[in-house]
Amino acid sequence: MVVLLNVDGVECRYGSVKVLEDVSLSVKEGDFVGILGPNGSGKTTLLKSISRTLKPLRGTILLNQADIYSLRSVEVAKQLAVVPQDSNIGFSFAALDVVLMGRNPHMTRFQMESSRDLAIAKKAMILTNTWQFAERPINELSGGERQRVIIARALAQEPKLLLLDEPLTHLDIINQLEIMDLVKALCTKEKLIVLAVFHDLNLAARYCGSAIMLKKGKIFAAGSIADVLTSENIKGVFGVDAIVQRHLVTNSVFVIPLSPQKPLPSKKCAVHLICGAGTGTALMKVLLDEGYSVTAGVLNVLDTDFETAQFLKIPVVTEAPFSPITEKAHNSNLEMIRKASMVVLTSVPFGYGNFQNLEAAEEAVSRQVPTFVIEEVPVERRDFTQGKASKLLLKLKKMGAISVKNQTELLDMLHVSAEKQKVIKDDAAKLLCHMRPREETEQKNKEEIV
Amino acid sequence: MSTDEVESAYFRRTSRWKLIVLLLLVALFVTVLVSLNVGYAQIPFENILAIIGKQIPFLNGAVDSSLVLPTEAAIILQIRLPRITAGVVVGAALAASGVVYQGVFKNPMADSYVLGVSAGAAVGASFSILFGAGIALFGFRLVQVAAFLGALFAMFLVYNISRVGSRVPVTTLLLCGIAVNFFLYAIVALLEVIAGEQLHAIVFWLIGGFSNVLWADIWAVLPFIIIGTVASYFYARDLNLLALGEDQAQHLGVNVEKVKQILLIFASMVTAAAVSLSGLVGFVGLMVPHITRLVIGPDHRILFPASTIVGAIFLVVCDAIARVIATPFASTLELPVGIVTMLAGAPFFIILFRKKKQSYAL
Repeated sequence: MVVLLNVDGVECRYGSVKVLEDVSLSVKEGDFVGILGPNGSGKTTLLKSISRTLKPLRGTILLNQADIYSLRSVEVAKQLAVVPQDSNIGFSFAALDVVLMGRNPHMTRFQMESSRDLAIAKKAMILTNTWQFAERPINELSGGERQRVIIARALAQEPKLLLLDEPLTHLDIINQLEIMDLVKALCTKEKLIVLAVFHDLNLAARYCGSAIMLKKGKIFAAGSIADVLTSENIKGVFGVDAIVQRHLVTNSVFVIPLSPQKPLPSKKCAVHLICGAGTGTALMKVLLDEGYSVTAGVLNVLDTDFETAQFLKIPVVTEAPFSPITEKAHNSNLEMIRKASMVVLTSVPFGYGNFQNLEAAEEAVSRQVPTFVIEEVPVERRDFTQGKASKLLLKLKKMGAISVKNQTELLDMLHVSAEKQKVIKDDAAKLLCHMRPREETEQKNKEEIV
Repeated sequence: MSTDEVESAYFRRTSRWKLIVLLLLVALFVTVLVSLNVGYAQIPFENILAIIGKQIPFLNGAVDSSLVLPTEAAIILQIRLPRITAGVVVGAALAASGVVYQGVFKNPMADSYVLGVSAGAAVGASFSILFGAGIALFGFRLVQVAAFLGALFAMFLVYNISRVGSRVPVTTLLLCGIAVNFFLYAIVALLEVIAGEQLHAIVFWLIGGFSNVLWADIWAVLPFIIIGTVASYFYARDLNLLALGEDQAQHLGVNVEKVKQILLIFASMVTAAAVSLSGLVGFVGLMVPHITRLVIGPDHRILFPASTIVGAIFLVVCDAIARVIATPFASTLELPVGIVTMLAGAPFFIILFRKKKQSYAL
């Protein structure tokens, strides 16, 4: 028989405060379901209502067609185990004693633990890597060790349904991974249903097959983990911008949350960035955070800076991928520069494809718009236009463009605090390592041959 | 220690527990015998054995009691034995209920009197001493009946104030218990103020002791204590699980609210019966469970019976000490056992606690 958990239309209140409203889900054996959402969204309450700790006002919770609130505690405990966030155990029981307590629902009132109970407890403790301190008092174990003992206790119950309420809060990375690998394996092998509340979206993404996302007690999104963990849902529920990608190696979704953004630019000053190849990424973020309104162009679609601009919702003049800048894009760029009160030219490499961006900068300088030239990498090293770009840049500086050594110097001039400058990477090394002007490379090759 | 040893140690646990209980029972028996020898009248040990032996059915024929004086038999059977039996019964009852309260409340400060039982009993006893001394009710002493009823009344008061729907949160219970305790002790203080000549009797009752205990007094409370203690022991494993917290106990199949209610009612009944016999003997219900737990560990399946017997031994020993101290002054001075339990017990507990505090957590 397939084990099923059906939650239908559940509503829970604390006093008059509604904490869960019309929550329904259906889970079958072997499912590993993540319950996600911000603090106070009802995640723990949902687990409480499923584990019989908080009876819902409305709705039903059926485990294998049986209403769990009509079953006896013992009957429920034979099928359902809970791992709480934290355990404060009143007396100094030995770890093995605590695990053996998991056998309670399987024992009659006057029974002592049998050799079978002990074997089950031992197996659970070996699986959770806790057997070596079986006899140590539970209160003397570290938080991580104690939590593993509690998980062993849950396994000793031999449940069909395992509820985990942020079970990894007290564990370090290796323990987190080991425990989740174990739970995942049990879920698959023993056909357990696992319902787990996660704060760490990436752990959820890595282990859950599916997920529900709660917002203010209601289900905001439900489905496969990839469908639930989208940047739109994360923005909608947590109010946080996040980059969601598939990891190149693990192929699971991973989420990089960004600091909550200020809604509106606080400074009236508009900065236009002439950048590309990732040289503008850090500046975009810092300048936005500082309250500048930022624009950029011309950028090729798929360029790193383009993706950053998309993400940060920065207005940007675009050109087709790997295409030289067309007249149309150039004109839009000039349009944007005219609205800007400041132009920043990053240490972007110049080739015939983006040479027009340099001409756009010239336009800015001639219009008396303050223009900063970041010379992190000497222009000769990033000039792929046979010296045309170097020449034009020199001309710009003569016309009044302000040359700065690096991004830090620029930001210092703008009075950006050192703390906020931390996102600035050392682009010079990266650029230099990839970009050797042809002559130099050829020379080097010759030397090597000799 | 190898893992096999851990397993076999657990298998041997049951027999080890049986051995502990057996040894404690032997210790209790020896304590009672030695205690019978303590007192103003010097009675030879062999005479004590003969007097006791005479009372045992089927064995009495083989006992030669020709050397026993009738007064000796009367002192042992009508004065010392009821007093010592009362010590056994009350000590066991207070320790047993102390274990239950500490388990249910998960609180090291909890003792037998935590639900206002002591204050309720004190009000009942003080009232009856003041206004109805010497009156008997259905053949029982009024003080005893009033103390018992007062204790149960206080318990039901606290319990019902704390109840939220069908739940009784332990924190609320504890706080209500403290509040009701203060309120009822204020009444006791008031009664003391107006007591006049009866003040001495009230103070004596409040300290707790076994002077003038009769067999009838013991028989009156024994059924409550036996039923309550045995019934509480059925829930020893649930008490273990409650140590994990109520939610986790629930998840492991304990019907928490029901078990809590049953245990609190039985433990209060046991305490009420005990204090109605002895007055407010302090320390036993708080410290005996702690001391026993320090030595044999927290598993209530052994902690409960062991504490019960240790409580009995402890109170009998304390009462013997009280009598020894009083002996030089003949029968003019009566030293209440409640003073000895606190004077002797507290330092002993502190020494034990300091020795083992590293591994002791509650």
